[in-house]
Amino acid sequence: MADDAKKKEIYEKLRNGVIQYDEDACKEGAQEAIDAGLDANEAIFDGLVSGMEEVGRLFEAQEYFVPEILMCADALYAGLDILKPHCKQMDLGVKGSVVIGTVEGDVHDIGKNLVKMMFDVAGFNVYDLGRDVPLDKFVEEQLKTDSELVCLSAMMTTSMVGMPKVIEKIKEKNPNCMIMIGGAPTSKELADKWGADGYAEDASNALKEAIKMVAFLKKLRDEKLKK
Amino acid sequence: MVDAAPLKQLLKKEGAALVGIGDISKALPREIRHLNRGVAIAVNRGLNKDSIDLLCGLQRSAEDWIRELGFKNLSIPPDSDRRTGKLITRLYKLFCHKTAATCSGLGWIGKNGLIINSRYGSQLSWATVLTDAPLKTDKAITDSECGDCELCVKHCPSGALKGGKWSLSDPLKQMVYYDRCKALKSNRQRFDEKPNCGLCVTICPYSRKSRKKSMKEKI
Ligand code: B12
Ligand code: SF4
Ligand code: SF4
Repeated sequence: MADDAKKKEIYEKLRNGVIQYDEDACKEGAQEAIDAGLDANEAIFDGLVSGMEEVGRLFEAQEYFVPEILMCADALYAGLDILKPHCKQMDLGVKGSVVIGTVEGDVHDIGKNLVKMMFDVAGFNVYDLGRDVPLDKFVEEQLKTDSELVCLSAMMTTSMVGMPKVIEKIKEKNPNCMIMIGGAPTSKELADKWGADGYAEDASNALKEAIKMVAFLKKLRDEKLKK
Repeated sequence: MVDAAPLKQLLKKEGAALVGIGDISKALPREIRHLNRGVAIAVNRGLNKDSIDLLCGLQRSAEDWIRELGFKNLSIPPDSDRRTGKLITRLYKLFCHKTAATCSGLGWIGKNGLIINSRYGSQLSWATVLTDAPLKTDKAITDSECGDCELCVKHCPSGALKGGKWSLSDPLKQMVYYDRCKALKSNRQRFDEKPNCGLCVTICPYSRKSRKKSMKEKI
């Protein structure tokens, strides 16, 4: 077993690899973690995801923009690909599955993919329906997978009008399902008006929300470990 | 304002035929709006077999030069449509090389839908580095210089060229029925020929003039 200093060094490498969007460093760090016999889940959360949290902060501070975020995410994935096969089934106490997609008539999927990625990392089961998704498909998929959460994304005023229809149909069939909407033209007011449970201002805020969600999950996990 | 002359010199020394700096702020989608300068880089396809590798190398040199000054950059690779699998590749299709080329004054869009440079014709491959470095920009080209010539339109084997005149006042005007060009391409592939037709490149008088010149240079 590696000593604490070594462990810290490896996590730091993973963290910095993500922040500096250095795929090679992430791959190296991930391999080192495995060779040193470290816990893969821990390496993901305390290394890679902790880096992504910092990236979220840099994004909020407008030091990073969308291209950097995507490159950081690519670096995170590079490490994740190596660590994932070594993961114990993640038991976060809040097992969740989520249906996600961009609504009919809209092909903007960058923001949606960022959110999806964060859910992936957090160990959620993600059913990604892609972009330009027919409205009824969301309802069908939710029923089929019995997911707790549905995320709807729209980037155009012309496509977002489909959202209330989806929300109404899902709530009718399954009132307990949580629905989060996001994308540039949507707003907290619209989310409330349409009966959605959550809202993120745009791709960037959806990312922040997702990061917060992951941070929250991490806290839950830490508390659980303490017990 | 940052003087771009040293960057241009560097890239030309490394094999670029043309380098220009364009103000591309009017052509940027939200995700990359802060990167309002485009460094347009072209290499002569007639002289370089592996123009894609060369362009990627030039992009890396430009990135390093810009990073050294403390600014951001994003390279759109020459073969942007073939890059997949990573998240960052999704941004590539938000920008097209022709835009940087016209904005930096290196060419107009010919009736063949391609960038025509008055010296090299369209025998050029392009790559772009987007940046937020306040590089001194070159003057954009505003109008087509095809004149009455219609050679490419007449000879395109798939009838893909519409024959309109491009101008910066209507930059997004569609000049090409891409589906026709694409269909021809896949047909030829089936017969195991070289898939790229490229007649619209070779027939253009500007390209022919350039080819003659570079043949002379080789000898
Ligand atoms: C996909 C693609 C194709 C596809 C289909 C194109 C399509 N739009 O569906 C197909 C397979 C048909 C194709 C064919 C060819 N292609 Co091609 N292709 C591309 C690629 C990868 C993307 C182009 C794209 O989709 N652009 C989006 C559309 C919407 O834009 P656009 O119509 O091309 O350009 C508009 C803007 O630039 C805008 N614009 C220009 N200036 C300004 C200024 C402002 C302010 C604004 C707002 C806008 C603006 O107006 C243009 C005209 O409508 C580019 C590489 C790249 N990333 O740019 C190469 C590229 C355009 N192709 C190239 C070439 C050479 C060819 C071919 C000759 C084949 C070959 N031998 O490789 C043929 C010629 C067809 C023709 N006559 O146009 C070269 C052109 C070089 C040059 N001198 O111009 C490029 C740049 C590749 C490179 N790295 O050098 N291509
Ligand atoms: S590549 Fe060939 S088919 Fe396509 S536009 Fe040019 S001449 Fe026409
Ligand atoms: S062949 Fe003639 S019309 Fe076509 S692009 Fe060249 S100059 Fe313009």
